[in-house]
Amino acid sequence: MKNMEFFRNVSIGRYIGGDSAIYRLKPGTKYLWLLALSIPAIASPRLPGLVLPLVCALAAGAASGLKPRFLLRCVVPALPFFALAALLQFLFSFPNDSSPLLFKIGPISGTVREGLAILMAVFRTIDLMVIIGLFTSVTSESEITHGIEDAFAPVSRNGGWVHDFALVVGLSFRFIPIIAGELEAIVLAQSSRGASFGTAKGRPLAKVRAYLPLFVPVTVRALERAELLAEAMDARCYTGNGRTRYVVYEGTKHEGLAKGLAFAFCGIALAIAFML
Amino acid sequence: MQAAETRGEYDISSPSSPGARGGGMALIELNSVCFRYEDAAADALDSITLAIKKGEYVAVVGANGSGKSTLLRLLDGIRTPSGGKVYIDGFDTSNQANSLDVRRRVALVFQSPADEIVSSIVEEDVAFGPENLGLPRPEIVQRVRDSLRAVGLENEARRTSLFLSGGQQQRLAVAGALAMQPECIAFDEATAMLDPPSRTAVLNLIDTLVENKITVIHVTHNMDEAARAERIIALDRGRIAFDGKPDVFFKGSAARALGLDLPDGFAAAGILGLEPVLREDAAGLAARAAARRNGGRERRSADAGEHSSGTAESGNAGVPAFILENVSYTYLKNSPGEFAALNSISFSLPRGKRLAVIGRTGSGKSTLLKLLNAVSFPDEGRVISFGISTKEASSTEIGGLRLRAPLCIQRPESALFETYAGDDAAYGPRNMGLSGRSLVERVKAAMDAVGLPYAQYRERLTRGLSGGEKRRLALAGVLALKPEALILDEPTSALDPLTRAAVDTLIILNKPEDETVVYATHSMDEAAMADSIAVIKDGKLAAFGSPRMIFYSDFDTDWGVGRPYAAELAVELKKQGIDIGEPLNMAEFQTCYKKALQSGYRPEELP
Repeated sequence: MKNMEFFRNVSIGRYIGGDSAIYRLKPGTKYLWLLALSIPAIASPRLPGLVLPLVCALAAGAASGLKPRFLLRCVVPALPFFALAALLQFLFSFPNDSSPLLFKIGPISGTVREGLAILMAVFRTIDLMVIIGLFTSVTSESEITHGIEDAFAPVSRNGGWVHDFALVVGLSFRFIPIIAGELEAIVLAQSSRGASFGTAKGRPLAKVRAYLPLFVPVTVRALERAELLAEAMDARCYTGNGRTRYVVYEGTKHEGLAKGLAFAFCGIALAIAFML
Repeated sequence: MQAAETRGEYDISSPSSPGARGGGMALIELNSVCFRYEDAAADALDSITLAIKKGEYVAVVGANGSGKSTLLRLLDGIRTPSGGKVYIDGFDTSNQANSLDVRRRVALVFQSPADEIVSSIVEEDVAFGPENLGLPRPEIVQRVRDSLRAVGLENEARRTSLFLSGGQQQRLAVAGALAMQPECIAFDEATAMLDPPSRTAVLNLIDTLVENKITVIHVTHNMDEAARAERIIALDRGRIAFDGKPDVFFKGSAARALGLDLPDGFAAAGILGLEPVLREDAAGLAARAAARRNGGRERRSADAGEHSSGTAESGNAGVPAFILENVSYTYLKNSPGEFAALNSISFSLPRGKRLAVIGRTGSGKSTLLKLLNAVSFPDEGRVISFGISTKEASSTEIGGLRLRAPLCIQRPESALFETYAGDDAAYGPRNMGLSGRSLVERVKAAMDAVGLPYAQYRERLTRGLSGGEKRRLALAGVLALKPEALILDEPTSALDPLTRAAVDTLIILNKPEDETVVYATHSMDEAAMADSIAVIKDGKLAAFGSPRMIFYSDFDTDWGVGRPYAAELAVELKKQGIDIGEPLNMAEFQTCYKKALQSGYRPEELP
């Protein structure tokens, strides 16, 4: 039996304090690297183009004291969704698919083209999850917010909507571990009353059914937490306008180099993606 | 009620120009304030009129659902009244243009600090408020530094706020409020979820605020905390039932009429035949008792042994309910933030016994309960639940064990999910396969037992129940399983005294004889109700034994748990040479004291 420790598999939205060259980069540079890694991961039409961003993200994580296993762990909760996506892909075939048949079980058949499409989708999702996990692990909420504010400063007249938008982005990431915590508490409570979490072995339908009653309490708790946070922010005079900054980002002496490398990496990764 | 006698002390006058109040004038004024939540059948607050002066220390008490938290939200302008006016330093909170002026004067500290932390780094969270005020950076830096120093977190400035303990997070919340340099800080049950040392730290902070002439409004269910204030406002179903001095509130009939406790010292002073004194601790009361006795005359000690109760080790043969053998558990293994929650814990608990698990926040209590419920499994060692090792059990056996020994999580009401109360209580029995008449009978018995009569509550909307009713319903959902053991994580936290007593009586004191109960608690009075107590410190079993062993012979202040008031007072009396034995609650204290009187102690003989 497995432990009910949902938080263990959450690497997105958890700022892990640390001190490394990557931690010390300015928020703008971190955002630039987020884009430099994400663009090839989204745009690459072939598998080799997806490998480079993943390897680079894992290496950057290791350089910041984040083990690859930690960054990859966020994939675990997504596995059922990968399985569902694969099932749908096999059920609804591509028109005029003439690639070799891999298997056929009743009405479900799989071809090489379908298999590759599934592999691409899974790999692409893993890439993005790891990249976002790395970004949120080394970037605090203030940095996330200030990075967006700085990026949009030229197009923002008084900064109000930009700050609201930036704060929404920062808090959205923060809510992922919060929801995981709430989900864990509610799963614990319902398991104690006979819900078959982790005990309905070999009965996929029972497993799915066990999760249905979670939707209401988890949603309610997430909304309650959001309301409490909004109240706490209101209570501390948050309006979005006229804010000053406590944190000063000094960055590193290699800030320019890091930015240049981000552009170079993105170009090379895209070239590999489209040429190989 | 005493309200009429004392209300005149706090005159309501029409507000003068905003922000122009001098010392001694009302900072907060409420004139005939009403508030009703959307879709609610009744007003949460009804015709509230009061004034609070600058520098006052006010406690707000009342049952769950009486309107205390709503009142605080009105003071801060988070909510605006449906009727009447709220003025903060002369600013009308109903006017949106005044919201910043209001909020910079009144800061709120909520019950659950984790809900109000905005930033992931400690110092950045403290800076959030001053940043919103648009202060220049040097001033923000100064305020952050001063606030963190005031709450003793100056060395944690760069830490990740998520990894602070519950007590540290609450102090961080206070620092965030202090950084706003408000004129008033309102605490909304801010100590309810804290262990005794963290609670003391927050109360000491409140004392410091009061010394610095900051108005403090403290919403609490703890009457000892309320008695520290210079004024008490008691709410009852949205109305002010009392507004006056704490000694009037507790010495008169007001507190009892509202179903609230008396401070521990009040009850004890009555037994000792002394006049109760507000804010007097056990040592002070013991010293007064000693000062009254015959000077230097020795007395015989009451027989403490007569009061010893059954422990986990004694009696009840057969298969134990739970056996733990060198159990260890680590959270976030191989992840950042990895920490050992439990380290080599071993004990055995016979069936039918009550075990209280105590220790500081984060010491590993909840983890221990999860292991007993078989929702977590030890990394090392074995947990044997009703003769089955959870680590080696099949999934079917695990499902069965969870039903035999269900876990009631902290704030179990958050896991209620059915639309109607009756359906929620029936969820567990339905999963057990019950249906029809047997299902109805099972649910009816459970709901009736927790004080939610089935006929009256089965079709009530779950979301429409009060906080106390929701807690009772959550307990009914577990009791409806007719479990062999109940595992409860802080079952009475944040409940008002009346509901707390009802829950304690139901699940701990009046439990079926063959039912095993394991519960984690920060209340030492509640822990003293158990047959055995396990003290967890930093993931290790610091002590295991009967309540008398734990609170008397083996007691160690390093555990960070404190004693029940009756035990604390008995120990202090003994230091003064008055040995009355080893009582665990006030009823036993009274009995012990009577015995001491009979054995020669004469309190009326003054030295």
